[in-house]
Amino acid sequence: VNLQGAERQGRALAAFTVELDVYSGPYEGLLALILKEELEIFEVPLRELVALYRSSYSPHEQSEETPDALERDTDFVDSATSLVLMKGRALDPALGAEDDEADEGLSPEELEERLVTYLKVRRGAEVLTQRFAENAGFYPSGHALHPRPGRLRLSEKKLVAAARRAFLRTVEPEVEHLGPITVTIQELAALIRSSLTDGPLSFEDLVREMDRLRSAVAFAATLSLASEGHLTLSQPEPFGPLTLNSP
Amino acid sequence: MNDRKHENVTEPGETMALPAAALPEAAATIEAIFLVSPRPVSLPALLSATELPEPEVRAAIEELERRYSPESSGIVLRHVAGGFQLATNPLCADAIERFREEARPAPLSGAAHEVLSCVLYLGPLTRAGVSAARGVNSDAIVRGLIDRNLLAETGRDQDRAGAPALLDITEDFLLATGAQNRDDFPVLEALVEEDEISRVRERIRVVTGEREGEFQKEKKDE
Repeated sequence: VNLQGAERQGRALAAFTVELDVYSGPYEGLLALILKEELEIFEVPLRELVALYRSSYSPHEQSEETPDALERDTDFVDSATSLVLMKGRALDPALGAEDDEADEGLSPEELEERLVTYLKVRRGAEVLTQRFAENAGFYPSGHALHPRPGRLRLSEKKLVAAARRAFLRTVEPEVEHLGPITVTIQELAALIRSSLTDGPLSFEDLVREMDRLRSAVAFAATLSLASEGHLTLSQPEPFGPLTLNSP
Repeated sequence: MNDRKHENVTEPGETMALPAAALPEAAATIEAIFLVSPRPVSLPALLSATELPEPEVRAAIEELERRYSPESSGIVLRHVAGGFQLATNPLCADAIERFREEARPAPLSGAAHEVLSCVLYLGPLTRAGVSAARGVNSDAIVRGLIDRNLLAETGRDQDRAGAPALLDITEDFLLATGAQNRDDFPVLEALVEEDEISRVRERIRVVTGEREGEFQKEKKDE
């Protein structure tokens, strides 16, 4: 199909504009829309298009024009035949081999029935055309109801984000780089509780002999015991010495 | 707004004497519901929302139809797609389109109307069914009509291989054609005169007879 060629060729058809139900504007624009598949070829009445061209450039006008008229006519015929070819291909029933065979085997009675049904459908389409035209001017009252003032407005975007958060599975963190567990909070909690039997205990004294990991776990165990009420903590000033007491 | 429950449900067609003051209040309630509804409101939905007896709701709708008469109002009450809907009077359409700065959509093509006619009268139909009824491939037109929400896939034809989707008309189709339901269109059989059908049948017989004659002649010549 040589529509692109027709579009590229000189600008002989640049002045030709069309007024169709589905499109209004330069003919070249119509070709571009069809090529970009933004307009269905089915929707373009080719017969009407040819009639428009013929009425735009009458034989009388053509005789007075320069040889450009010939180029323009050639371009139009070229593009119009391409459109006919495209429409023909698109309208190919393509119902499959089974249906083709069925069509070939149609008896005259079945063919009659099919044509009569089509005739009725065509008449139905005419009724619909009228009904659509009669009702085109109605605009309904409430297109989209806005929320009442002060009501929480939930946009679709926010709703999607919230749903994603709610249904998202938490990803297990990577732990391969961590070493084996050598000390537990339970162990150090037991140590703290036994040490407290001798009276108040300085946190510094508790962790003096411990490495950084055990010190951290000891602090976590202290906080845990304090929250459960098994000991009380006193610290006279921020960052000052921390003392553990029996409750 | 009111506390009357529908305790007096009457048979269809039966009328009921209403208190003089009841009608404006019922009409006002229903008018408000129509105003906030973007889709047609059915009678059962109105009965449920207003909690009024059916005769009172019907009388109120009649009152609203008088109030929103196309002869005297820019707003009209449409009885469409199985419900009631307030809409602008078509006489005001040009001004509304200028105000909204939007052109009226281009009318559908003849082919699109044919596809809709197929589905309306012969449907629900598969895409292949539509193409078979028209004798040409109609898939692209069907796609466009689904995009416009005039057709929708409403089920599957389980009797055919692959269970292809069945197409049917939509509520938007009924709104666009001003119809209550399928029965609101002329019967398919009434659309073509019997004389015209006879002429079509006669023409087919002549053509098929001529072909048969040619076939027999070719056979004889051989």
